[in-house]
Amino acid sequence: MVAVSRGNLASMSEIYQHRHSSLFRFFFRLTGRQTVAEDLTHEVFLRMIRYRHTYQSGDGFEAWMYRIARNAFADQLKKHRFETPAPEDFDTADKGALTPFESAVKRQELALLHRALRELPDDKRELIVLSRFQGLSYEQIGQIVGCETGTAKVRVFRAVKEMSGIFLALQKEKAS
Amino acid sequence: MMCGQAKEWIAASWTGELDEAAEAKLRRHLLSCPECAGEMSQLGGVWERMADLPTPEPSQAMRVRWESTLESLMANRKSTSWRFTLASLWPERPVWQATIAASCLVLGLAAGMLLQKPGDRREIATLREEIASTREMVALSLLQQQSATERLRGVDYTQRMPSMEPQVVSALIDAVQHDENVNVRLAAIDALGKVSRDAKVRQSLTHSLAAEQSPMVQAALIDYAADAGDPHASETLQRLSQRPDVNPAVRQRASKALSELTRYR
Repeated sequence: MVAVSRGNLASMSEIYQHRHSSLFRFFFRLTGRQTVAEDLTHEVFLRMIRYRHTYQSGDGFEAWMYRIARNAFADQLKKHRFETPAPEDFDTADKGALTPFESAVKRQELALLHRALRELPDDKRELIVLSRFQGLSYEQIGQIVGCETGTAKVRVFRAVKEMSGIFLALQKEKAS
Repeated sequence: MMCGQAKEWIAASWTGELDEAAEAKLRRHLLSCPECAGEMSQLGGVWERMADLPTPEPSQAMRVRWESTLESLMANRKSTSWRFTLASLWPERPVWQATIAASCLVLGLAAGMLLQKPGDRREIATLREEIASTREMVALSLLQQQSATERLRGVDYTQRMPSMEPQVVSALIDAVQHDENVNVRLAAIDALGKVSRDAKVRQSLTHSLAAEQSPMVQAALIDYAADAGDPHASETLQRLSQRPDVNPAVRQRASKALSELTRYR
């Protein structure tokens, strides 16, 4: 990114190669929509070029990139508020020797888990996505959302707890 | 140990960010705190299950779209790189912009003064003389035209001159005395206001007043004589104020001018 910030736009291609998938997944987990996630990913790379002068080599690249991504997502929400759709089916084929019944139970459980995640408020879903799916450390999450590392840990804990509560309630609802 | 601290450690244990010492403390706390132990088990289970959620993949179209965008950005940047460089030098804050503009002005003035040669002043003076001479020629030429509009333009030209040459003054006096158009005569009287201190001009216009038939021009000439404070005009004004063939308003004006001249004498 240092090379890009100095005007070498060709280096952006390498950054794209390494980061576009994870950035896409970040947006997909937040929006649940393929095209919206792809558009946002594209927008983030454009913004990285536009605001390349704001990148400082001492700062973490991940934190800088996700700050841009969060702003892009916030701008998108201002323009269009969308409901995260439920996936049609979950593939459990690679889960080893599951019986058809076990496989059906597993699929149902994943669907409920996915629903619990999308029923979370945006800020809490974002914390879970950053920590669980994007694999960022709490220190990085603190830099991205603007809080101390310890606070980031507590916030993620509370988000998972809330999601767990929703998940259990959905399971009960399904069983009754 | 506080349960609040345990929450941080539980969260850290999910991502593998818990060191051995903290892990040992967490274990001890969980043994003594059923509530935290329950959360550890339940939430840990949810955390683990999330690994089974499908991993989405971006489409190939997204990459193609990006490569095309980057290519066009780079091509565009090449063609405008020098403009980017110049633009990046210009500050965004209006205060700095104004400072730079003022500095450029001061530097320009200073450079102009330093670089000016003694010969330049002479050249400028010569140039000014030439311009004045050209204006004079144009004015005289216009005053000779058939069209009254052109002659009016000629009079207007003389009014723009910083000083009037004798030839121009003569041409204007001639216009007052002989031009058939009232407007040209009036404009010429106005133009001669610049040289009202010249006794010959005043005398010429006093003679014109005696011969003039138009009430408007008569009034203008009376005002000229009064403004110039010309004592030699008294006799002409006296006669004019008593002539029965002259417009009553003009006679009245002549009387008034006469009394003013008498008062200032």
